[in-house]
Amino acid sequence: MNSLRYGFRLLLRDWRAGELRLLAIALVLAVTAITAVAWLADRVTLATEDRAAELLGADRALVGNDPLPDRFASLARDLDLAVARTLQFPSVVLTEERTQLAAVRAVDPAYPLRGSLQVADHADGDARNTTETPARGEVWAEARMLIQLDIDVGDRIELGAEEFVVSRVLMLEPSLGGGFQNLAPRLLMHLDDVPATGLVQEASRVTYRLLVAGDNAAVNQWQARVQPDLGESVSLETPGEGQPAVEQVLDAAKRFLGLSALLTVVVGGVAMLLTIRHYASRHLDRVAVMRCLGATERQIGAMLTWKMVLLGLITAVLGSLLGYLVHLFMLSLLADLLPSLPAASWRPAGVGLLAAQVILLGFALPTILRLRRVPPLRVLRRDLGDQLFRGWSVYPLALAAIFLLMWWQAGDVVLAIYVFAAVLGTLAVLALGAGVIILLLRRSRRAGATGLLLSGLVRRPWTNTFQIMALGLGLMALLLLSVVRQDLLATWQDRLPDDAPNYFLINIQPDEADSLQALLDEQGLETRVYPMVRARLVGINDRDVRPSDYPEPRTRRLVAREFNLSWLEELPEDNRLVAGNWWANGGQPEPQFSMEVELAERLGVDVGDELHFDAGGQRYTAQVTSLREVQWDSFNVNFFVAASPGVLDDAPATYITSFHLPRDQQRLLVRIVRDYPSVTLIDVSAILDTVRTIMAQGARVVELMALLTLFSGLVVLLAALQVTREERQFESALLRSLGGRRALIRRLALTEFLLLGGAAGLLAGGGAAVAGYVMGNLLFELEYAFNPWLPLLGAVGGALVVAAAGLLATRRLYRVSPMQLLKGAEEG
Amino acid sequence: MTAENGSSVLRTDNLGMVFRGPGGDIRLFSDLNLDIHAGETVAILGASGSGKSTLLGLLAGLDVPTGGRVLLAGTDMTALTEDQRAVLRGRELGFVFQAFHLLSGLTALENVMLPLELAGETNAEARARAALDQVGLGERTGHYPQQLSGGEQQRVAIARAFVTEPRVLLADEPTGNLDRNTGHRIQDLLFELNNVHGTTLVLVTHDPELARRCQRVLSLEDGQLVAA
Ligand SMILES: Nc1ncnc2c1ncn2[C@@H]1O[C@H](COP(=O)(O)OP(=O)(O)O)[C@@H](O)[C@H]1O
Ligand SMILES: [Mg+2]
Repeated sequence: MNSLRYGFRLLLRDWRAGELRLLAIALVLAVTAITAVAWLADRVTLATEDRAAELLGADRALVGNDPLPDRFASLARDLDLAVARTLQFPSVVLTEERTQLAAVRAVDPAYPLRGSLQVADHADGDARNTTETPARGEVWAEARMLIQLDIDVGDRIELGAEEFVVSRVLMLEPSLGGGFQNLAPRLLMHLDDVPATGLVQEASRVTYRLLVAGDNAAVNQWQARVQPDLGESVSLETPGEGQPAVEQVLDAAKRFLGLSALLTVVVGGVAMLLTIRHYASRHLDRVAVMRCLGATERQIGAMLTWKMVLLGLITAVLGSLLGYLVHLFMLSLLADLLPSLPAASWRPAGVGLLAAQVILLGFALPTILRLRRVPPLRVLRRDLGDQLFRGWSVYPLALAAIFLLMWWQAGDVVLAIYVFAAVLGTLAVLALGAGVIILLLRRSRRAGATGLLLSGLVRRPWTNTFQIMALGLGLMALLLLSVVRQDLLATWQDRLPDDAPNYFLINIQPDEADSLQALLDEQGLETRVYPMVRARLVGINDRDVRPSDYPEPRTRRLVAREFNLSWLEELPEDNRLVAGNWWANGGQPEPQFSMEVELAERLGVDVGDELHFDAGGQRYTAQVTSLREVQWDSFNVNFFVAASPGVLDDAPATYITSFHLPRDQQRLLVRIVRDYPSVTLIDVSAILDTVRTIMAQGARVVELMALLTLFSGLVVLLAALQVTREERQFESALLRSLGGRRALIRRLALTEFLLLGGAAGLLAGGGAAVAGYVMGNLLFELEYAFNPWLPLLGAVGGALVVAAAGLLATRRLYRVSPMQLLKGAEEG
Repeated sequence: MTAENGSSVLRTDNLGMVFRGPGGDIRLFSDLNLDIHAGETVAILGASGSGKSTLLGLLAGLDVPTGGRVLLAGTDMTALTEDQRAVLRGRELGFVFQAFHLLSGLTALENVMLPLELAGETNAEARARAALDQVGLGERTGHYPQQLSGGEQQRVAIARAFVTEPRVLLADEPTGNLDRNTGHRIQDLLFELNNVHGTTLVLVTHDPELARRCQRVLSLEDGQLVAA
């Protein structure tokens, strides 16, 4: 027989009979959530990589303080890669009346290889993108330089020994070197004009760059070939490096999304578990008839399996389609963050397809396949086979499916195990709480206070315990995704308050530190000037450290560079100890280091290890006594390695500080630059804005995702109510045929729903408060406080929502005649 | 397909059925012997709860007796597995129920095709159409059960029962859910089948009129079949 065709026909029948609705909706929602996140992650990851390349202006760059050997460029050309060279140096720009320090960049016409420049024709003209670069004899200058020099486009300036015409206003260019903008305004000129200026000489501070871009494979090949050949003085830059703040924010947003998708899957799975028994029991008669007509177990099994597989396919296609639309919508929310996107791939759709099958196979099929054992005698005796779905043996497979999906979604076994344990624990606690509530109600009834009103709840202790648990889970998802999400997002955004530091001062000389601190204090800026020592890590315990010891490229680069060390008395406010102890305050403690925990993991350093640093030819050695978590996105000054006071006393140090300066106090900057000429001022307003936009838009995306989870929470609510619908239907008919008035029956039902909802909401609120606390503090590293109002809110909200939904769902029950109902309750 | 008239097609050997009840065992019948010949028409009467449906279930191999044997066309069904019995049922038996038991997702035609397809027969559609023609529903092959009246549904069920040309057709109160007139038409159909194909009929019924048309009428009383 053609079991595929029968499977399909019977599936159609179920759909028309409305029996599939909740099951299908739960599945579609789960697939939608999974695919939307997959698509988003896919494209945003690609796009952020592209964007990082734009920031760098290339796919890779070599940087050095001496002219770069030609062989690197010719190798790139051999590999068909595009190549551009730039030179960067500070210089004074002169007009007849004024002078101004500029950050000069000389570029060849191929620049930039990725991204584009934005220019305007006048100081207040409209910005436009261009692929051109300054022609010989011309320069492009930033607007503020024009203002400071009091000139406009078309005027002439002097640069070294040459004169140039300012031909464009430079609005935006890929900001080489990690997004920090030097305070000195930019001046862009042609590379070939540099010799004539005479500005670049042996001892001058020049940064040479070789930019490379092209086909991914070729770029990687080039990198692999040049890397061993770089030596000490040349380093390789890759896109996206050196912006830990942006990375951290994106990371948090991704985790939020992934978790939300996971929750949708779990909640959807529970909805499925709730409905599947009911759905399967509708098949008892049909399967019995087929068996009676000669169908073997294998034939029944094949038919039912096909049916589920088809259901999985259809819901997967639908869910993927919706997921695609949702991700488009999410992207539209992110539009100005991600101007150009790579095309969507088919992979997420495949993922959706697979997920739907895994969910179905895990949650539905084991129950459905039990139908193979329906006794054919049921065609003569209708009560046979009713107990077919009793027992717990279907749950292990469902749990396995949940775990599989979690693992896959989290991409990390440990995290998956944690979340899985949390879900199981939550279910157990909900069940326990529900049991206790039912028990208490039972007691109070025995005391005789409530009589008939509570009879419904107490008569079905198991069903109701189960129902409270399911309702609780649905409500908990609702609360988590509404209230707790709001709180968490607010806390997250609070990490970057309006007064987050927007300026950094570096290169402060030791003899300037005190007076600069005094100046900042006098201006009412709350900040500290920190010492900073540049040192190379040369040894861990008895072992010498070389970059080649580490296979991971990023770690390798970290080790190759110099670390910024500082000495601190107290643990900075936005740091958190995760291992060991901070040194005792005051006096001169034993020499100790404290290391940032992620770096420590990369380097394989733990508390108790001895580190050897080399600063200015001098060795500094101390034991690591603590590991710290650092909140890079706070934009405060932070250090990978901190020493206890005294360790670095004789090391060559400069000082560094950061502060928030409101717009109307910008004059202070002029004073600092004038009074402390050696100090370099770095403006991070732009990057701060970027991070803020990512946070705001990320939050909107997360909210959209939460809406999906919210829907599946509602589906669970409906499913939980449906479980007892038939029982309720039969009881109400019975009560009415015994003379119960409609109003009384409705009042009984209302009381029951209110109590069910209130109990479930109370548990859900408590659960959501704890879950929010745990998620905030452990997963997102936010200082999120336990919200004591949630249980109350849950109880009231739950009672109202469940009562409304319950009355709506059972409205029909009280309208039709008892006879119809008694007959209807029997219909297969 | 019919065996030569007179040979035994369905036989029980000291059939016994005991249910484990809450108040001790309930012995429904023991040592019940019945021999039905090919082409015979048999009615089984009895009070409600006397065990008629249980007996029918045992005869059909839907259930296994606690004692004795049931032989269908010479095969001892009590020695077969459930799946083997299902295949045997599909080949040798047809069923008509009081509650019709049509599959609601399938059209009349598909309902009738189902047993043929389960048995892996070819030409299922043509044979099902012919069967529906025979019960006078050739025009309604595309209708779903809920679009048919009770009598029409029972006719589809009858078409489904004989489309495999079974040796024996078992019916449990086939007219119990139908009004008198419709019931008559259903009865006529059943006996016509018996006439045309020589199908053995075993009918469980409350209806004395239906019983009277059978060659043999038995009554189930205190666990024994007695002639009525
Ligand atoms: N599986 C069973 N378990 C317990 N008692 C049963 C079972 N099957 C049938 N009975 C009992 O056997 C008796 C006969 O039932 P049934 O065959 O349906 O009678 P009838 O069809 O003649 O009305 C009834 O009392 C019924 O309760
Ligand atoms: Mg009966």
